[in-house]
Amino acid sequence: MLKFVVRRVLWTIPIILFVIFMTFWMMRAIKGSPFRRSDKAVPPAVLANLNRKFGLDKPWYVQYGRYVEDVAKLDLGPSLVLRNQGVNDIVKEHFPVSAELGGLAMLFAMIIGIPLGIVSALRVNSWLDYGGQFISNLGYAIPSFFTATLFIYFFAAKWRLFPTNGWDTPGSKVLPVIALGLFPLTYFARLVRGQMLETLQQDYVRTAKAKGLRWRRVVVSHVLRNSLIPAITAAGPILGGLVTGSFIIENIFAIPGIGRYYVTSVEGRDYSTVMGITVLLAILIIVANMFVDIMYGVLDPRTRDART
Amino acid sequence: MAVNPEEMEVRQDVVRREMSEQTFEAGTAIRQASLWRDAWRRFTHNKAAVISMVFFVILLLYVIIAPIVSPYDPNAVNFDIAYQSPNLHHFFGTDEFGRDLFIRTALGGRISIGIGFAGTLAIMIVGILYGSISGFVGGWLDNAMMRFLDALYGLPYLPFAIITLAIFGVVNFWTMVVALTIASWFTTARVMRGQIISLKENDYVRAARAIGARWHRILFRHLLPNTLGVAVVFIFLELPNVVLGEAFLSFLGLGINPPNASWGSLAQDGNEQYLSHPLLIVIPSLAICWLILTAFFVADGLRDALDPRSQAAA
Repeated sequence: MLKFVVRRVLWTIPIILFVIFMTFWMMRAIKGSPFRRSDKAVPPAVLANLNRKFGLDKPWYVQYGRYVEDVAKLDLGPSLVLRNQGVNDIVKEHFPVSAELGGLAMLFAMIIGIPLGIVSALRVNSWLDYGGQFISNLGYAIPSFFTATLFIYFFAAKWRLFPTNGWDTPGSKVLPVIALGLFPLTYFARLVRGQMLETLQQDYVRTAKAKGLRWRRVVVSHVLRNSLIPAITAAGPILGGLVTGSFIIENIFAIPGIGRYYVTSVEGRDYSTVMGITVLLAILIIVANMFVDIMYGVLDPRTRDART
Repeated sequence: MAVNPEEMEVRQDVVRREMSEQTFEAGTAIRQASLWRDAWRRFTHNKAAVISMVFFVILLLYVIIAPIVSPYDPNAVNFDIAYQSPNLHHFFGTDEFGRDLFIRTALGGRISIGIGFAGTLAIMIVGILYGSISGFVGGWLDNAMMRFLDALYGLPYLPFAIITLAIFGVVNFWTMVVALTIASWFTTARVMRGQIISLKENDYVRAARAIGARWHRILFRHLLPNTLGVAVVFIFLELPNVVLGEAFLSFLGLGINPPNASWGSLAQDGNEQYLSHPLLIVIPSLAICWLILTAFFVADGLRDALDPRSQAAA
């Protein structure tokens, strides 16, 4: 058990190094120096100075090594555009907002999505099941910018129940959280329903039924337990979906989160910020996947060997 | 011609089933069913899938034909007719410049669906190549290639696509296709590898090997044709993802430049004035929903049709 956990944790290190490496090379491949975008031509001496200050005159492996070292020290480097701010300051300012948005959306998705999937599977092919499936198909198909706009149009502008944008009062958080949580909700519902239907056909469920166990007991202790564990694996793709979704949602609701700042940074060619945020998001996803694998290995020992 | 045993088995199975289903008049030929014809039969019996297919084709026809027959110039500015509601001249109304939305939505669809299909094709090619090499060769190469894929899974989709676009420096049809492909070929590659590996264990592959078939014959003759079913399903699964990815990028203002517009950029236009003129965002968004929903149900129907074993679980 311990060996499995240690191996899985150690394995994330080369992955993180590799992802930083990829990001590093991609950033270098982008044409144009960040210092060249002002209208006035920057004198060569100043440019050389700036390059030296940010270490851009060193060979790539030195730059890469230094960057990895900084990331290990939790320092994402200076921003190339904002004079007195480092990427760390930007992350500190904007990331908590995004984390709260994403966390609340995840919570919303689980609280509604998992029960929806369970009920759909237990009442398969009933109107409840069809209703649930209809909702989850809709949630899957409607792009999040459309749901968000509809929400604002009706709940904020027309009926004035919630503010149209911002992230300050509890009321202002309702619409973005629901808009962002809708996609993971349908993901959970679909996955849990599928898993439940599969489990319900297993022999041990039939055995439990045959030996006269109450149906409620069968569902709770045999079906639910074995169906919900695989749902954990959804956390990886869902986190990825939340990152993508938050870019859109933060933009529409004017939420000062990291996704919105990312788009601004790309447009402003602030590459060190872009790189810092990309690396941060990548590490987040990699570590989340690691936890998912470990948890899955603990709950279902059969998967341990296959997943390292 | 060497008969594929698995196919043979399916054939016999179908014949047996049909014998039991219908009473034969004297002299009627027993209909031979190939794997694909059988799949087609199952697909056409699935109402939701057929209806979705019809609506999917309707959308394609609209996107192809509307710009040809429409009398309006998609880029002609005429402020006299700005913000018209849908009427007999302009079926979807007009935008802030008085441009006809019926034709602009169709042209946007050409870009969105065009990028969708091109991206899907690229994803399939890369995914099948990568997956079949990894699965077919096996050993340490397979291991290394899968580890590489694991690492790529850590990259967040949208930022990755955005950086790729930034590397190109320009956003046009093809750079968009490349950016979306680079960010999303992993799943297809992984599934294709799994397919190849499980097919490799089949007796007919062993038989082919035993009689001295070379590797390319085994790969191209016995393995790849049998992944075709899964590949077809994946086309309809990936298409909506690519279209949605493009829409997201365009919506963030990182898409194709005006006056060309995809559904995503039309929605972005609409988003700036949704309070006064909601129709401008509703129409392109509904078009995207239409595409995603129909493709989803077609993929579902195809999966059931091409892999009868999964029907029991569904």
